[in-house]
Amino acid sequence: MLASILASGLAVGAVYALIGVTYNTMFSTSRVMSFTAGQLGMLGGVFGSLFLVRLGFPVIPALIATLACCAVVGVVTEILAVRPVLKSLDQHLYVLSTLALALMLQQLTAIEWSTEPQPFPKIFGIGSGVFDEKFWLPIVACAATLIGLEFLYRRTLIGHAFVAIAEDNFAARALGLPERNLRMASYALAAAIGGLAGFAGGQLLLAFVANGPLLNFYGFVPVALGGLGNNRGAVVGGFALGLFQQAANFLVGGIFSSVAVFVMFIIVLLAAPQGLFGSSSARRV
Amino acid sequence: MKADTRNASIAAHESEGSWRTTAMHALPFVTVFGFAAIVPMVTNDYWALIATRAAIYWLLVSGLNLVVGFAGQLAIGYVALLTLGAYTTSVLVSGNVMPLFAAFGVAAVFGAVFGVVVGLPALRLRTFYFAMSTLGFATIVTQIALAWQSVTGGGIGIAGPEFPAPFNTTTGFFYFCLGCAVLGTWMTANVAHSRFGRALIAIRDAEVATESLGISKPRMLVAIFVLAGAFAAFAGGLFATLQTYITPDAFSFDLSVLFFIAILIGGRGSILGPLLGTVILTLLPEFAAPLAAWSTFLYAVLLLAVVLVAPGGIAALLDFKNRRPLQTNRAIIPRPALLPDILSRERAGANIALRGITLSFGAVRAIDGLDLDIAPGRIHGLIGPNGSGKTTTLNVISGYYAPQSGTVSLGGTALEPGRPETRAEHGIARTFQTPRIVGEASVLQNVMVGGTIAGQGTLVESLLALPRHRRDERMLEDAAKLALRVVGLESLAPVRADRLQHSELRFLEIARALMLRPQFLMLDEPAAGLSVDEIARLGELIREISRQGVGVLLVEHHADLIFDICDQITVLNLGRTLAAGTPSEIRQHKEVVSAYLGG
Amino acid sequence: MRITRREFTKGTAAAAGAAAFGLASPAIAQSGPIRIGWLAALTGASSAPAIGFDRGVKFATDTINAAGGIKGRKIEIITRDTQGDPTKAVNATQEMISQLKVDAVWGPTNSGESLAITPIMARAKMPNVHPCVIDSLIDPAKFPNAFRIAPSNTQWDDAVRSYTLKILKAKKVAVIGDTTGYGVAALNASVAGLKKDGAEVVYQANIDATQPDMTPDMLRAKNAGAEAIVVWSTSTGMDARLFNTRAHMGWDVAFVGHPSMSSGEIGALIEKPTNWEKVYAVGYRSCSYDAGGKLPPHSEEFVAKLKGKIELKDTLLWWVAGGYDAVTLVAKAFQEGAGSHEDIIKYWNGVKNYPGYFGEYTFSPTEHNGYPGKDVVMSDASTAKDGTFRLAPGYA
Repeated sequence: MLASILASGLAVGAVYALIGVTYNTMFSTSRVMSFTAGQLGMLGGVFGSLFLVRLGFPVIPALIATLACCAVVGVVTEILAVRPVLKSLDQHLYVLSTLALALMLQQLTAIEWSTEPQPFPKIFGIGSGVFDEKFWLPIVACAATLIGLEFLYRRTLIGHAFVAIAEDNFAARALGLPERNLRMASYALAAAIGGLAGFAGGQLLLAFVANGPLLNFYGFVPVALGGLGNNRGAVVGGFALGLFQQAANFLVGGIFSSVAVFVMFIIVLLAAPQGLFGSSSARRV
Repeated sequence: MKADTRNASIAAHESEGSWRTTAMHALPFVTVFGFAAIVPMVTNDYWALIATRAAIYWLLVSGLNLVVGFAGQLAIGYVALLTLGAYTTSVLVSGNVMPLFAAFGVAAVFGAVFGVVVGLPALRLRTFYFAMSTLGFATIVTQIALAWQSVTGGGIGIAGPEFPAPFNTTTGFFYFCLGCAVLGTWMTANVAHSRFGRALIAIRDAEVATESLGISKPRMLVAIFVLAGAFAAFAGGLFATLQTYITPDAFSFDLSVLFFIAILIGGRGSILGPLLGTVILTLLPEFAAPLAAWSTFLYAVLLLAVVLVAPGGIAALLDFKNRRPLQTNRAIIPRPALLPDILSRERAGANIALRGITLSFGAVRAIDGLDLDIAPGRIHGLIGPNGSGKTTTLNVISGYYAPQSGTVSLGGTALEPGRPETRAEHGIARTFQTPRIVGEASVLQNVMVGGTIAGQGTLVESLLALPRHRRDERMLEDAAKLALRVVGLESLAPVRADRLQHSELRFLEIARALMLRPQFLMLDEPAAGLSVDEIARLGELIREISRQGVGVLLVEHHADLIFDICDQITVLNLGRTLAAGTPSEIRQHKEVVSAYLGG
Repeated sequence: MRITRREFTKGTAAAAGAAAFGLASPAIAQSGPIRIGWLAALTGASSAPAIGFDRGVKFATDTINAAGGIKGRKIEIITRDTQGDPTKAVNATQEMISQLKVDAVWGPTNSGESLAITPIMARAKMPNVHPCVIDSLIDPAKFPNAFRIAPSNTQWDDAVRSYTLKILKAKKVAVIGDTTGYGVAALNASVAGLKKDGAEVVYQANIDATQPDMTPDMLRAKNAGAEAIVVWSTSTGMDARLFNTRAHMGWDVAFVGHPSMSSGEIGALIEKPTNWEKVYAVGYRSCSYDAGGKLPPHSEEFVAKLKGKIELKDTLLWWVAGGYDAVTLVAKAFQEGAGSHEDIIKYWNGVKNYPGYFGEYTFSPTEHNGYPGKDVVMSDASTAKDGTFRLAPGYA
């Protein structure tokens, strides 16, 4: 029982954490929270199933194609729903524009793909029981993403540019950084991370349109817990949520586990609006 | 603000023809509801059903409109309250616990309580967080309805309440719902056109300014959450009757999306717009049957289009008045002579005193042990290079920043640090470096917001347009018009504030501040962006304000203005007082002359 | 020809005028086409049954019309896609009653919608046949106009229970449902029935169908000593996850329950074909083949008719047959001289051993459950062949 809680809790936790990182990566360059984050996780599974099952691609090309498609969705998000509303950030129009885009993505998938869960095949076929690949794959993807992001932010020029923009947008622009291109790049990167979450979690969650709103919410909880823009916080929050949720599933089961998660979410937020690892709010006047 | 609310301000403008403009203001609503009223007579039960549905949705949306359209709180999960009302009435009526109308009353009370519970996170959380938490609530309510089978019937559901004669026929029930919708429209319109409605819009678009005007955001929001919750739950009861039988499936998230998008398509800060939005979104799927599968997709496209292309929604399209071009070579001619009419009040004669104020942002010392006195009837200039702590000092006095050490007191009483909303009651008013106004509201309404705390009537009195509400409105309107005459903007009263020039906004902010009948007025770079003539008139106005006994703190870069009108000047550098004294003393201060005046 | 809503709304002004002068009478037209309203959830979350029914409806309509119609009158089907949303179903129902003035209504196809529209239909005395399973939908006293041509939930439940207890001989049973309205209701009815028949219900749970991992519930069922698991869910994803989890656990317990467990989609969702063995889903005599691969003769005749015209691979025979039977039941009423809504209801009330392709229906003024309970049987879930299944082992 405990092994099962740990395996499935860490696995779904890794998927939630990756969606949390998706939120954060989008936020870092644009100060915008996007409702499309969860839909990207859903699309990762759907594109993965499309390329692997329906079109019969081998694993690596299918993964690359999935990430590329998601990245395109990310860039479209930036162009359609983010860039036009950036100049009036304080009116929070981004909540509406990204919600609209997320609904469009979801409806489009429901109509053009399927409203029923579609299969996602085994990739390596390594491991069984609690060591089945459907459990460890998301965890590996999460670890790889974190290491990759650390490397990107610390060791590469473009990563430094991301950090500069995240820390001080105006100063970065004054330095002559191509702010708009960097923002598009970060949306593509964020979308690819979301897609990877869906792909790695595909065997667990299947290629299912209803995963979109589900991941939207459960992927946001780690961000709220870990503090906005804090990737390590999101990962800790994601695993905590996954374990809490699966433990609730095992112990109280059924309908009330989602109620339990939601109640925890509200209580933590009201007690610590900045998240457990968050920083204090910015100047207002 | 949009067409309908603007009509109100026009009405104010032309006082003699006010009944006519009131009629014009009501005309679109009379038309919409009139058309609705003849639906059962000229068509069949099907269209009567659709019209009933639209009326019920509108009852919910009219309340939600105050939350989303006016206060700007993005509550996207309001189907939760519809569900609550539907189940409450159904359970109470079908279980024979109480008669139908009592059950509706109980549902409204539940809705009010739950409305606050759903809304509570808005007082603490950021916009997106709040949107997410309402979304979560919507899911939870449905889950509970499913799980609590002994009461709600679980997945099998429960029969909706049945109305007694004469409301038990399609037509009878339709007229009942239409009556509710008309009542809901009237009540929310009353709120919208009251000091509460203006304050809500100000919270949405100029939150910082509302704090300086003494408006309490939590109190305002809780009040409208109560109202919107009660409306939504009542609508839920009607919804259950219309459906005849409710199961959790009926309360889909698509319904929430419909409510939310109807408001945004209609236009924020309007009532007519969201009404039309609701009608359109309810009818649309009936005319486009082959597109049934695409309906939510189309709603989403509409939402995106509205956000990107027409942020004002339907209301902005109907706003013909603000398309008329404004006079281009208009001049601002203040009338300081009228000031005694607005500023007459008992003057306490106490000073604002700052003692040993220290404030750091991270490693940066913004203010470093500052002492400062502002006396009534005197103009105190605060100058210094950029980053010397001028605006920060102003923000400490007005309570936006809590200093790490030191006190701010008024006549011996300490002013609470970090509580900007307490300053207005002490008669401390201010303007902002970047004018903080509500661009979508008229100039007159922007000024009227300044007098929000002067009103006597409660929200309930405004809801029902009782005498005290009407008296408040007359009083605020007269005072605002007077304030506009004082600053010389009276000809622009009915114009949308975002059509004004920058210099006019500076005077608008002064007019708004005068609405508090201040003891002290703090001006943050009021001359920035003004022409030489305008600066001269501004100087004259400020001097006259101080002659009325008001203590003025003037943060300014225009040295001429400062030396021209100030009685006392403090020069700041790196958060410390570099020099203090009369203008002539400062002019001779060596360090000031070399470091700052560039002499 | 099908009339779309768009064309109808064009004529609304004229119709409205006519209505104002009292020309709209409740009596149904005696000439022109016979108009049947068809409330179908053709898109949305659970659209598979309606898509299957729709094929039967079209086939029946085309067959009758090609033969010259009923007494010279063509059959006209007016379809409204309700997407499984009760709100849309209520709107569409009222439209069919007041605006389109149809002669009878077939559908809706899921219980959530049917619960909402049944009282509305009853008020308008609109003849209605539907295939929804929830028992309370049929009540000749409250809803004298509503008739069911598919098994009720009790009949499903009876079949599942008797197979679990009498043929599988399980004493300790676990019951699992999803969290939808149907799942919760069916689970409770099933648990009550099992207990009444003396079985021990060792575990019961409603699981969110989107829950990624079914291990927790399966473990608890196993630890409680379950010898069979009864499943009430319309979600194929959840079914498949249950089957896969059973395989991972190395448990050979039998699944018995809802027809969705035999849905073709599961074939793609399970990890290996053997995971789908020992799964028995509700099926019907008319749509079950024997060890020799033969359907009952009446059904063979129907399949032969459909051959080349209607695709059966991606749907179920009983849906197609049910849709066909619904249309022919309405047509038959007109054949027998029905001229008003009351006539149709009166005719149906007298139907005895009506030889439909899905089953042999019998109605009476006090019994509107037309489907014979004995024809509800379990089928071997993984043996789908052109929309039919092999009869589960153990039946005579």
